[in-house]
Amino acid sequence: MASLKARQRTALEYLYDHYAGALLGVISRIIKKEELAEEVLQDVFLKVWDRIESYDATKGRLFTWMLNIARNQAIDKTRSKEFSKEKKTGEIGNFVNRIDKQGFVEQRVESIGLLQLLKGLPEDQRFIIDQHYLKGYTQAEISDEFNLPLGTVKTRMRLAMKLLRKLLVE
Amino acid sequence: MNVDEYISSGILEAYAQGELTEQERAEVDTNLGKYPELRKELEAIEAVQESLLQKAAIQPRAAVRDALFAKIGGQTPQARVVTFAQPDKIAMGWKFAAAASLTIALISSYLAYDYWNKWKKTEESLTTLVAQNQRVAQDYNRVNQRLDQIEDDLNILDNPNFNRVVMKGTPNAPGSVAAVYWNESTKEVYLSVLDMKQLTAESQYQLWAIIDGKPVNAGVFDHNFTGLMKMKDISSGAKTFAVTIEPKGGKDAPNLKTMQVAGDVVKV
Repeated sequence: MASLKARQRTALEYLYDHYAGALLGVISRIIKKEELAEEVLQDVFLKVWDRIESYDATKGRLFTWMLNIARNQAIDKTRSKEFSKEKKTGEIGNFVNRIDKQGFVEQRVESIGLLQLLKGLPEDQRFIIDQHYLKGYTQAEISDEFNLPLGTVKTRMRLAMKLLRKLLVE
Repeated sequence: MNVDEYISSGILEAYAQGELTEQERAEVDTNLGKYPELRKELEAIEAVQESLLQKAAIQPRAAVRDALFAKIGGQTPQARVVTFAQPDKIAMGWKFAAAASLTIALISSYLAYDYWNKWKKTEESLTTLVAQNQRVAQDYNRVNQRLDQIEDDLNILDNPNFNRVVMKGTPNAPGSVAAVYWNESTKEVYLSVLDMKQLTAESQYQLWAIIDGKPVNAGVFDHNFTGLMKMKDISSGAKTFAVTIEPKGGKDAPNLKTMQVAGDVVKV
């Protein structure tokens, strides 16, 4: 038992070292406050630790599974009392799980390599990728916010992901 | 269902991004089971998504990692056993399998790296060894040629038909010694230099046979050769062999003032 536990711990450390950064990126786009985002990150890994047996490799990548846990955990946090309080001390008004565009996150996120990569996309497709992956909007929110039919958002996302597949190989 | 249209609709992207309702997800799950092309496409989408988010990563502070593993470390093994092992042995098995496969992945990537390193080193050693081997082969060939030459020389020295004529130094070069091996019946002449001084680049030694009082050209040579050197054939009747210094390439008639060594043929 002890050795199994040690191995599980090693596995979790491996997951943390590989994915914590990417997941904190996702969480930070939903929760701006650094300490709070990192707290959610911890919760995400505790959940992964508890639920690893429910991961089904036939339904997709381990990263996608963890990504969904992270996103849900972050959204749950925005609905919690703690988050309401945090938000209220800062600003009054609606505290949807959205970002203020002056947030510190973007500056840390946008690595030169990533910007370079996205430059390979047509303007309208780059916009969709940017809004979804770098600003943290869901497709439905992009559709609402920018008055685009959801079908258009979907097909642009589709085309962008297809083109990125090629650009990433180059 | 038209698979291409289904893919073009962008539903798999939405699935990978966790944007679908429970019902929509279940439908995609069913279709993924039915059409392998969909699964392949989804894998590609997930890979792109992972790359993008890795590039947009924000590294947490080190304290976050410490705190997380302190929390996990704080859980006693008993507590973990109660939570996982007893209620569901299959689940435990899955967890074990996941952990084991990650461990294997870690170990194999380490091994791959290790082997790669070893392979690079081996390749370097191989290049060195190939070079050494070529050098050894060249040396061997040189030694072999030299040995062949010595064997040939030895055949001449051993042959009783060859007459050895020792040419001693004249007052011009008291220390010089050379020898001629002459086979009167086959007319072959070989020269062996025992000790002769170095000449300038413009001049060469020339061997002469004296037949009926007249010098006959037997060829030119330099001071620095090993073993026996084949000279021009000399027909019977030679009484004396002598060496002079001549301009490079030799002359038709000797400059007797420069005579270095000379020796008479002694018939055995």
